[in-house]
Amino acid sequence: MPLVNNKVGDDCTVGTDKALADGKALVDSLIKVVACYRHLASCVGSCTDSLQLRDELRQTREKAQNLAVSICQHLTSHLRDKSLPEEQRKEMELLWVAFSSGLELLHVDMCKVFSMGDIFSLANSASLVQTGLQGGGSEVAARALSLPDLNQARAPEAGLESQERSTMEQEISQIDHMIDDMEMKVNVLRWMVEPHGPQYADPLSSTDSASLALLSVDEEQPGHQPQSQHSHMVVFVVLFAVVLVATTLSVCVVFFS
Amino acid sequence: MTIRNAIRDHGQRYRPRMACLKKAEKVLLEMQDPKTGVKSQPQRLVITTIPHAISGEDIIAWLADRFQIDSQEARNLGSMLVALGYIYPLQDHKRLVIKPDASLYRFQTPYFWPTQQWPVEDTDYAIYLAKRNIRKKGILELHEQEQYNRLHKWMNHKWDFIVMQAKEQYRAAKERKKPDRVVFDCQERAYWVVHRPPPGTVSAMDYGLERRIDPNADETKTPDFYERIMIFTQQSIMRPRVKSSVSIGALVKYCATYNSHDPFLSKCLPSNPWLTDDVTYWTLNMPNVEIPTKMRVERWTFSFRELLSDPRGRDDFRLFLKKEFSGENLAFWEGCEDLKWGTAATMREKAEHIYKTFLARGAPRWINIDGKTMEITVKGLKHPHRYVLEAAQTHIYMLMKKDSFGRYMKSPVFKDTLKKAIAPEEHKFTDAQLEQNAKNRRPSLSPIILRQQELEQKAKMAASAPVDITQLCRFTTPVPHLAVYSGITDSPSANASPSLPFLAHSPACPSPISVALDSTSASERRVEASEGEGEGNPEAQTPVGGNVPKSRMALSLRRLLKRGCTPSTMFASLSPKCHSVAGTSSRIQPFSPDQPSQAPPRRIGNFFQIKVDIPPECRIYPIESEDEEEENRPASRGGIGAKEIICPWESLTPQNGMG
Repeated sequence: MPLVNNKVGDDCTVGTDKALADGKALVDSLIKVVACYRHLASCVGSCTDSLQLRDELRQTREKAQNLAVSICQHLTSHLRDKSLPEEQRKEMELLWVAFSSGLELLHVDMCKVFSMGDIFSLANSASLVQTGLQGGGSEVAARALSLPDLNQARAPEAGLESQERSTMEQEISQIDHMIDDMEMKVNVLRWMVEPHGPQYADPLSSTDSASLALLSVDEEQPGHQPQSQHSHMVVFVVLFAVVLVATTLSVCVVFFS
Repeated sequence: MTIRNAIRDHGQRYRPRMACLKKAEKVLLEMQDPKTGVKSQPQRLVITTIPHAISGEDIIAWLADRFQIDSQEARNLGSMLVALGYIYPLQDHKRLVIKPDASLYRFQTPYFWPTQQWPVEDTDYAIYLAKRNIRKKGILELHEQEQYNRLHKWMNHKWDFIVMQAKEQYRAAKERKKPDRVVFDCQERAYWVVHRPPPGTVSAMDYGLERRIDPNADETKTPDFYERIMIFTQQSIMRPRVKSSVSIGALVKYCATYNSHDPFLSKCLPSNPWLTDDVTYWTLNMPNVEIPTKMRVERWTFSFRELLSDPRGRDDFRLFLKKEFSGENLAFWEGCEDLKWGTAATMREKAEHIYKTFLARGAPRWINIDGKTMEITVKGLKHPHRYVLEAAQTHIYMLMKKDSFGRYMKSPVFKDTLKKAIAPEEHKFTDAQLEQNAKNRRPSLSPIILRQQELEQKAKMAASAPVDITQLCRFTTPVPHLAVYSGITDSPSANASPSLPFLAHSPACPSPISVALDSTSASERRVEASEGEGEGNPEAQTPVGGNVPKSRMALSLRRLLKRGCTPSTMFASLSPKCHSVAGTSSRIQPFSPDQPSQAPPRRIGNFFQIKVDIPPECRIYPIESEDEEEENRPASRGGIGAKEIICPWESLTPQNGMG
């Protein structure tokens, strides 16, 4: 009787399906948090950098870390289970690849935030680069932490920067070790993993397209002024031709009737 | 920076040549200071305004003021900042230059600054392209599309993750306020224009090869480290020293001489291709151009080394030497260079070939070096290595330099070249023309093609190499006979000699070793009265230069062979040819005394370099053959150090034991 080392009952496909679904949900939320972390990280060092931003970064990071730890345990235990059926294993491996890629992105972002925090200390606000940003990343952080709105009243504690840095260092090394452990414990052959999804990300729902259009107009406008003028000219010419045709027709009608 | 990505990074990413990045960062921090930096203005878009836009002319004015430079240089500096990715243009985002007008720019956020520590990942690029795809609803630019497909192929296992991450980042971006979203998109787009430049543009982030160690890092003081320091200082002490007046004088002289030839310090006629994107300068100065430029010819007069290092100069010099009938010096020098720089596998053959062609007694292109050097060289050739001919080469080089070079400078060849040399006019391009040039930039010939052309050139030259008629002319008949030999190799013989034909220098004289082996094997066969198959072998040994197809002659000779001549008669008929082929090794063929009729026809006089096919009996032999005849008689008894042109180091090999 094989010894199984997983929480789910052996030979229970329902159980493994549930495990898969759990894993998928966890990985999805990790991906979401990593995406938000990246947005927040891009604000570091800019003129909107503030203690609040750093705090949000910290919270997002902690959440990501917790998620990572739980996914790690979950996936490791499942993938080390030898009795996992083949399709489940493939799915698990997919999740594994997604998880490790997400973790690497998180790691890089954390390193960058750490070193930038080094250079751009908040005490010297004149050195923060004027990048044109106006708002902070609060909405993004809220999305990451899945809170309806961030508790603004909670004042970020000042004076804890050094402690913050050492915690960050520890967390970075923790993630490093996690990645290393993962590679040691579970052998996922990356070239055998086949993705399900489409090559091209589907455009999102139609409600987005309106803002999409506006956005592209915003961006391209300054460069494309002459071209829009050109299109205006074309429109005018067409209208003029239509008006001309209409007048000739009416004249003919009048003339012949 | 304490945290490096060293754990994930497999230690191969040091790019210390980007020291400019730290300096650019400092400049940028000064520039963006709200009080003392560049004046910023809001950018007005259709529905919103975004602050902190700066105009090109303000940037240039600020830089000129801060560093006390003129506006052209400030413009170049600004363009460099843009090209590195610290400032990005808001209009015309693909061209990373500063325009000195009211066009707008913005500072890049530090997250997107170029950095050496964290290399730019393809995963991020894939995510960016996926996001862009979402935004543009599937309409990516051509190069982006290609990159996307390529990444899809190479990172297929992560593709689900990439697509999902792109969607999540997109949704997270939508949470932000409108102007911030626009700014972030501009920032990201600018980042990728810098790090994945669209085709046809030049990237400022080209830094060459990545290094394995970080030269900026402190080296740990291991015993090894101290050992290296000790060796270095010892060698420094041992260097010869001169007075500083002498060395400074040399430097001054060098600068004075080369000042007008330096493209930085003086004009580069017609125009510097790196500045004007016009490649006339390079085409006029190609290595094998017919008519060189005046500057180039002037350079040849500076020193002999300059003349030799320029391929066109060397050609000219070779022509002059050919007229003077002393081309063997240059040929020898080139052979030595080839030996030094060639592949290790061919070294042995090359060394032997050079010895037989130039150094041995009675060699066809014998060079004149003194006895001591000859002794050293011959001794060294016992164990040939790359630098075995160094002494002889230096001697010949000095000879050419002191003697031939002076005469060359006064010769009609040089004067003719000087007269014909062209002095191109300077280009004067307008700005519009410069832009046009930039658009018409085309890549040059691939180095593979250039190398092929070079090799063809060499082969062509080698095939028509001048036969030195001032030498004792035991020259081969021309190539057709070589072709005959190569043509009749029906069966590649098992004992094919390892000496591959080495064409580049004197194809008229095939690898003497092969002929030596021929002769020895021939004599073996004669001694053993081997079967008729043996005759295939000599020819098999001399597949030299013989890619000239003269099949008819080959065919006739083959028929002759197949009539089943006995080995001895075969040798009788063939050995003259054998000698004719192996001009240098005519001494080798040990003929038995019972074929006296064949003994005389051992060498072919080819005084007039006429490429005709002379039947063996009619060949004329120069008088010098007499003494060699006597020498060869005892050669048939074999023996080490016989007067065959056997390489000294081969005297120990069993093949020559048969003599």
